[in-house]
Amino acid sequence: MALGAAAWLSAASATSTGAQTLTIVAPAAPGGGWDQTARAMQRALHDVDPHAAVQVENVPGAAGTVGLARFVSAERGRPDALLVIGLVMVSGIAMNGSAVSLADVTPIARLTGEHEVIVVPADSPHRTLQDLVATLRRAPQSVSWGGGSAGGTDDLLARLLAEAVGVPPAAVNYVAFSGGGEALAAVLGGQVTAGVSGYGEFAQSIAAGQLRALATSAPAREPGLDAPTLREAGVPLDLANWRGVVAPPGISAAEQNALTARVRAMVASNAWKDTLRRTGWSDLYSDGPAFRQFLLAEQSRVMAVIARLQAGRATTPSGVTPTSRTAPVVAVTLAAGLAALLVWQRRRPGRVTPAPSTPLARAPAGSRRVAAIAAACLAQAVLMPLVGFVPTAALVFATGACALGSTRLLRDAVIGVAVAGALALLFGVGLHVPLPMGAWLP
Amino acid sequence: MNAFAALAEGFQLALAPANLGWGLLGVTLGTAVGVLPGIGPALTVALLLPATYGLDPTAAFIMFAGIYYGGMYGGSTTSILLNTPGESATIVTALEGHQMAKRGRAGAALATAAIGSFVAGTLGTIALTVSAPAMARVAIAFGPADYFALIVLAFVATASLLGSSRTAGLLSLAVGVVLGLVGIDRLSGDARLTFGMPYLLDGLDPTIVAIGLFAVGETLTLAAAPPGASHVLPLERTRWMSKSDWARSWKPWLRGTLIGFPLGALPAGGAELPTLLSYAVEKRLTRHPEEFGHGAIEGVAGPEAANNASAAGTLVPLLTLGLPASATAAVLLAAFQQFGLQAGPLLFQNEPQFVWTLLASLYVGNVLLLLLNLPLVRLWVLLLRIPAPQLYAGILVVATVGAWSVHRSAGDVVALTAIGLIGYALRRADCPLAPVMIGVMLGPAADMHLRRALAVADGDWSVLLRRPLAGGLLLTAALVVAGPALWTRLRRDPWNAPRVQ
Repeated sequence: MALGAAAWLSAASATSTGAQTLTIVAPAAPGGGWDQTARAMQRALHDVDPHAAVQVENVPGAAGTVGLARFVSAERGRPDALLVIGLVMVSGIAMNGSAVSLADVTPIARLTGEHEVIVVPADSPHRTLQDLVATLRRAPQSVSWGGGSAGGTDDLLARLLAEAVGVPPAAVNYVAFSGGGEALAAVLGGQVTAGVSGYGEFAQSIAAGQLRALATSAPAREPGLDAPTLREAGVPLDLANWRGVVAPPGISAAEQNALTARVRAMVASNAWKDTLRRTGWSDLYSDGPAFRQFLLAEQSRVMAVIARLQAGRATTPSGVTPTSRTAPVVAVTLAAGLAALLVWQRRRPGRVTPAPSTPLARAPAGSRRVAAIAAACLAQAVLMPLVGFVPTAALVFATGACALGSTRLLRDAVIGVAVAGALALLFGVGLHVPLPMGAWLP
Repeated sequence: MNAFAALAEGFQLALAPANLGWGLLGVTLGTAVGVLPGIGPALTVALLLPATYGLDPTAAFIMFAGIYYGGMYGGSTTSILLNTPGESATIVTALEGHQMAKRGRAGAALATAAIGSFVAGTLGTIALTVSAPAMARVAIAFGPADYFALIVLAFVATASLLGSSRTAGLLSLAVGVVLGLVGIDRLSGDARLTFGMPYLLDGLDPTIVAIGLFAVGETLTLAAAPPGASHVLPLERTRWMSKSDWARSWKPWLRGTLIGFPLGALPAGGAELPTLLSYAVEKRLTRHPEEFGHGAIEGVAGPEAANNASAAGTLVPLLTLGLPASATAAVLLAAFQQFGLQAGPLLFQNEPQFVWTLLASLYVGNVLLLLLNLPLVRLWVLLLRIPAPQLYAGILVVATVGAWSVHRSAGDVVALTAIGLIGYALRRADCPLAPVMIGVMLGPAADMHLRRALAVADGDWSVLLRRPLAGGLLLTAALVVAGPALWTRLRRDPWNAPRVQ
């Protein structure tokens, strides 16, 4: 019953085939801002043309750079694919040393954005942004900034702000939390001096009087918020956590224009306007040469601040404070040392043999059977996209059963196909997660 | 407004036939995705979010809450039966639960998990109803130094899991920390232990590590043994909980709830910490220490209760402060936005009807889940009738497809196989596996909170002792380490009252 209902639910959002197709790649896991953008686009495009077949594909990883790299190589020349990008990807490319950059894709349009707000706890001695800047200039380390992940919009704003008031970006004491939620808790609890995040994330706490907004990073005042912009507060800076879409490399100018026209029509739809109203995203639409210019400018300022940050960090002596490298070094050294100690303890003449916890642990090694199972699993990883899930899963099943002592290979293969088929149905129809069916099926 | 009158009104709405239907759909879906490894409640809610666009927000959230609680129920089923945890919060359940299943006691394990989840879910929801705002104030008082001290306490409390050989146990722990540290460091953005492989930048999912170590590793170990050596015992005739099972379960349920709810409400606590702590507490308090590691029912009852109570606790910061303390809560927050609702301090004032209906539907959902899961216990244990070769082959297929479905990437299947081989090697070397999971879950968190604490304090280590919360927790940890030895010394002290022989 659950599956039937789920199938009905997914059918409610599914699109018919046969008309114009489009694949929107969200370079993040479901639930985040890029995924929400992709799914809102899917809905709005459906509103514009109910016959269009629009698919959303999630390729998460490393601030979107994994998705970007795959998009550039796998979709090259395809005029029916879009990738959702944003400010965080620009800094991700710089921070991860990604080989692929936004110069490798075809710009289409900037869609939405969210501006940032700088807050302090209601009982903070810093009444205005000028107070905070004064403390920052005097003792940069004493001002701790709480925000989202390192290299994200919040981190960039804190460092760009420091640079704009003459403090080196590497001197900023930025404390990264897992997203705006944890940062909000840290500001409310007075753990950090100031908080930086998207306005939406702090809006309720500001309205409830728990937090004081010092400034926003928008070019104009946010409606309903009694706080100056950074420019009004004397800092020549604005920053938006913008999101947009790009097309694959190697498409013609005509194809680029056609995609731009489709996106422009989507932005004009009621479904899209409704999404903006519900989510509170600002409409930052721009396309054509203006968007290309914006992308170049954004890349150069983000790359510059990250380069200065990384250079500054390399020269700072760390002292007794652990850095990002401390834990891996300690853990790997300990593991290696303990492994050596264990081998020595067990090889020592006259050792006390620890009783094997299970008889299996001392059984003669059936290493060929172990290798066969591992090979079948690896084969599934490699072959699944090519020949589909059902044959590879049947292979894993048959190999596993035989390695564990079953003698009827054919029967096991048949059971394997049945199990795999049932799983494919369950995932594809019930949970809306289609398993790869291979190139040989339509 | 009177909270109880408001709650009664909420019950009226939650029990309306249409809403009850959405709740039933939610708990069924939630149980299903909990059973499947890989796909969890967070992913399910995210996938269903676009489909609920036209729905009334109350109905949608009743369904989402059902999925959330249902995922916690379902995740334990595969942990117990197949040693493949569906969620990171049910990894600990696999430790004792699967041992019980191997000894023919799967029915009792599933029943204590389901009833414990119901008890903890209901008590947790009551705590959420009466104490949400107060709880939230306590939760935000927790700073990075306090989190670090809490994790040190958890490390110390779980030291007894290291097993008889300290070297082997510590080696497993270190391997776990290494596996946990792989990926981009959140504080600095630096890549750690990734060896230039883009796949590793996002780190290893704890669920995939657990499935690789437990399920794949065990299959490989069985394959290495001579053919025909199956060690799954036939089911006991009593498929239900016996009188002594009840007697041994009810205290762990209550203790698990006490541990799970407050830790779940901590914004950076995570779902694994309460289950791990509850396991450690039960192992220390049990009258049957010899059964731990071989299927002690307390080791299932406690962590399962802790897991569901922490799911209720997670809703405290979500509803009162608008801050998500888990992946599912983060998706729920996105869902709030889709429906134009602002979760946060003003939610109770602005949308009282929505909040109280949601709370009422949590109670209803718990009852529905119990009604759904108890009959299923009998069905699930039939799985164990499958002969060992086909059963383990099936586990391999489910594990690989589960790993693949998390990110839809072949890299996760490769990682699963590699971790399975590590698990096999550790078993061959007589190293316990539980400490690996402790390392994965606590190691990176300790590193992150310590560095965060020092950054906030500008490099001053004394922050760890100066803060009353952190200092108190560290003192408790020290007492747990030194306490037993000190106690014996005092008792032997000739100036104290001499022991009567």
